[in-house]
Formats: sequence, C-alpha cells, structure tokens
Amino acid sequence: MLSYIARRIVATIPVVLMVALFVFSLLYIAPGDPAAIIAGDQATPADVERIRASLGLDRPFLVRFFDWFWHVLHGDLGTSIFTNLPVTHMIAQRIEPTVSLMTLTLILSLSLAIPMGVIAAWKHGTWIDRAVMMTAVLGFSTPVFVIGYVLAYIFALRLDWLPVQGFTSISEGLLPFLRNLILPAVALGLVYMALIARITRATMLDVLSQDYVRTAKAKGVGQRGVLFLHALKNAAVPIVTIVGIGFAALIGGAVVTESVFAIPGLGRLTVDAILRRDYPVIQGVVLLFSFVYVLVNLGVDLLYTLFDPRIRY
Amino acid sequence: MSATTHRYAAAPDLPAILPVPKERGRIAGFIYRHPTIFVGGLLVGLMIFIAIFAPYLGTKDPTALAPARRTREPSELYWFGTDMLGRDVYSRVLYGSRVSLMVGFSVAFCASILGTFIGLIAGFVRQIDAVVMRVMDGLMSIPPILLAIALMALTRASVQNVIIAISIAEFPRVSRLVRGVVLSLREQPYVEAAIASGTKVPVIIWKHILPNTLAPLMVQATFICASAMITEATLSFIGAGTPPIIPSWGNIMAEGRALWQVKPYIVFFPAIFLSITVLAVNLLGDGLRDALDPRLAKRL
Repeated sequence: MLSYIARRIVATIPVVLMVALFVFSLLYIAPGDPAAIIAGDQATPADVERIRASLGLDRPFLVRFFDWFWHVLHGDLGTSIFTNLPVTHMIAQRIEPTVSLMTLTLILSLSLAIPMGVIAAWKHGTWIDRAVMMTAVLGFSTPVFVIGYVLAYIFALRLDWLPVQGFTSISEGLLPFLRNLILPAVALGLVYMALIARITRATMLDVLSQDYVRTAKAKGVGQRGVLFLHALKNAAVPIVTIVGIGFAALIGGAVVTESVFAIPGLGRLTVDAILRRDYPVIQGVVLLFSFVYVLVNLGVDLLYTLFDPRIRY
Repeated sequence: MSATTHRYAAAPDLPAILPVPKERGRIAGFIYRHPTIFVGGLLVGLMIFIAIFAPYLGTKDPTALAPARRTREPSELYWFGTDMLGRDVYSRVLYGSRVSLMVGFSVAFCASILGTFIGLIAGFVRQIDAVVMRVMDGLMSIPPILLAIALMALTRASVQNVIIAISIAEFPRVSRLVRGVVLSLREQPYVEAAIASGTKVPVIIWKHILPNTLAPLMVQATFICASAMITEATLSFIGAGTPPIIPSWGNIMAEGRALWQVKPYIVFFPAIFLSITVLAVNLLGDGLRDALDPRLAKRL
C-alpha cells in the first residue's frame, strides 16, 4: 500500500518535469528579445549583449531551464511584462473565483451525473435510459460558452431569476455567492456531467451482469443496496478515472466560462494575458493548471487503492 | 369454441419460434441497424454541402460592411439579422461552416497521421518506447485547450496555425491508442510468424499492423474532429484563434458578445450551427464505434 503510493508519487516527477520543460520552451521560443526591449531604442548591439549577459540570457537552454525551474520550485514564476507585478501575486489575486467555480461545478456534476448514470443502467433500454444518453451526447456536443449564453438568456434575461454576470465572494454570504455562481457552474459542468454519466452507465451495466450482484439480489438485498453498495463500489475505478481525465475539460472550460459570465478569475487572467501577449503570465497559468491536473490524476490513482484493494502496481 | 378447433385440429400450425425477419432493402436495413451513423452522416453531409455551396445559397458577401443597416433583427431580407457592422449574419454563418469543417477535418487528419506514426514507432521500437511515451504523458498533462491557447499565443493568428496548434494538443492521445494496439498485436501468432520468417519491419507494419489499427483510429479521428471544432470556436471566441477578418462561428460569436443581451440572435445562430455540426460528428463517431466493436454496441 505505502510502497504503491510512494511509487505513484515518484512516477509523477518525470511528468511534472516534462510539463515544466514544455512550458519553459514556450517562453524560450516566444517572439521578442527581452534584452532588446529593456535596452530601449538608443542601445548599441554591445549594450544589448551586455544586458543579455546580465540577465543570463546568453546561457545554454538547459542551464536556463533548470535555473528557471529552481525559481518556480521556490514560488517565483517571474514578472508580468504588462503590469510589472510578480506572476504569483497576480495568480493569488485571481484564484478565489476560479477555485469557487470549479468546486461548485465538481460538487454539482458528481452529485447529478453518478445517480443519472446508475439509473440509466438500472432502467437499461427504457426511455429514461435513452433520455439520459441523449442529454449526455448533447452535453458534450455543445461548447461551454454556448450553454452559458443559453442559460444566461433563459434564467437571467428572460425569467430574471439570477444575475446575468459577476462574482460575489463567499465571505459576503452563501446565497449571493450561489446566485452568482450557479449558472456558470451548470454551464461548465454539463460537459463533465455528460462524460461521467456515460461512463457510469457503461460500467454499471457491466457490473450489474456479474454473479455477485445476482447473489446479492438472491439473498434479499434491496434494489438500492444492490445498486449503490454492491455495484457502484465495484464500478468506481473507471468512474474516478474519467473524473480525473475529464478535469482537463473543466480547466479549459473555466477559461471560457469566466469570460462569458465576467468572473474575475484565472481564466480571465489567461485571456487577458493572451491578448496582451504577456508570456510570463501565460506560462505561469498554464504551469499551474497543468500541475493541478497532474495532482488530481495522482489523487485518482491513489483513490484506486481505496475502491479496489486488489490494485498493486 | 372447442368444436371449431377440432375441425381443423388435424395439423396444428407450428408455433412461431422466430419471428419472420422483416424484409428490408439494403439501405433501409442499414438505417435500421445504424441509425446514429445515418443521422450523423446525413447532418455532416448537409454541412459539407452548405460549406461548398455557400455562395449559391442566397448569401451576400459575408464581409461587406453596411453601417446604415446594422443590428437589424432577423427578417425576410436578413434571415438571421445583421451584426453591429451591418454584415449579414446568415451569410457569415454559412461561410463560417467552411472554417469549422476545414479545421475539424484537417486536425483529425494531421493528428491521426502524426499520432499513428509515433504510436507505431513507440510500439515497435522498445528502446525508445519509454522516452517517447513520457514525452506524450507530459504533453497530455497540459489540458488541450490551454496547450492550444499557449501555442496560439506564440504565433500569428491564421487558420493554418490554429490547425497546427490543435493537432499538437490532440495527437498524443492517438499515439497512445495506436501504441496500445501495436503492443497487443505484436504478441499475435501471425505477427510473430511474420517476424520469425524474416519479414522486414516496415512490411510487417504496413501489411499486418496498420490495417488492424484502422478501425479504432477512425473512431478516434471522428471524436478528434468534433473536439477540434469546439476548440477552434473556443480559441476564436477568446480572441486567440482564426483571424477576426475571416467569418468563423467562433468569431461571429465573439463579435456578438458585446451585444448579446439586446441582440441575442447574433450569438445564437452560429451557436446552433456549431452545436448541430459537433453533435452530428459525435453521433457518427458513436455509430462507427458501435458498428466496428459489436461487443460494446450492446452497452453504449
């Protein structure tokens, strides 16, 4: 058990290094010479060369990479070209709305999608099953921002039940927080829900045809007990796997959802950084999101042992 | 009742064990067996038709500005209304199908070719397998949209660069799929026999391995096509994709954003077209997967 956890953690190190290398290359090949920009218009080539040396830009690629990585490990992601603020500082300012949005989306998606998938498998072949599956296909055929606009149009503009845009911190009360965040969370969650509901249904169908499920039914375990205790626990491994993989869609979707609903989070920071070509910020955000994604999937791997004690790699 | 039965009871009819198979023509039979392929294929075909014949479908110049008649509601004259620069939304949406389809198909093609190539090498050459797959793991750890965004930030906005960026974000999944297939095929007796009889590796790959990767590859390519269309629209929507001068569905929506609370139709028409196209491609992929893998067909 412990050795499995240790091995999984060690195995993520090369992946993290690989991601860091990609993200660093991004800045490395980005157009524009920082030394020339700092030196200004009046500088001679010798001046530019001197500045380049003083910034360490004349060193080999790998030396610069490990130097940069060392700073990243110490929480230094560089300075924004546009605002001159440290990138970590800018991220810290914007992280709350994004974390709130993703947490709410995660809670909503899991609490709706898993029962949907279970019921679809249980009522296999009926109209309920077909309705759930159709919703799922529609769910991942519609881009997040389209769903966002449709929801905002119906519930905010037409029915006037919820605010159209904006974000309220949870510190200002749970209700205003939820009123602002519920539409973005549903819009963002629909793709994720579709993924999870589909895989839940497929795995449950598999599991429900197993002998031990029949045994459980035969010895008088109730329908709910069979579905949620015997079957769902054994269907858990593929479900948590897709929850981990689908997290990428959640991250990508958050970038867009925040633009649609004017939420001042990391997604908006990313979009603004792209429009301004603020490479250190782009780099920082991509690195952070990728790191979170790797961590989530590490968490998923560790959860396997909880659901299926047979797993020993 | 019993008296009447008696009269004919000498030779009772054989019970119908199997229902008589319904006579269906070849096409009707295909539609009955694979309704999703049919519906998806029909809709994709319709979109391709629209993309090719956009100039002949009652469209005007999609980039022609006419400030005097801006933001007109949909009417007989302007079926989908006009945008804030007076451009005809109907024409823009129809021409926009060209960008989406081109990006979708090109990415599916490029990512499949590149992914297959790398997957074949990784699956066949043990020495570099670990290194190549770690690189793929690294690429796959960056959420695809973010990777595409980051790549687009490096280059000039153009349709070609959008295709390259999305292909790079998508191909690692293909390479992993192909590698998996290759690894399981290598152990097959007929491949071992081919190796033992001294067949050259390229011939083995071309004749024995590649044909067997085609089915899962085709299914994967359809899903990549669908996801590439969404990614293109997303990139354009946030201003990092197709250049604004080209009417693409993402661009029309991005431009309609500022006005969407008062003139929602500018955003909704391209949104409907995009969703239907992606849905069609996804249905096609679902249908292909079911048709090519009958074991899964019963479940999904």
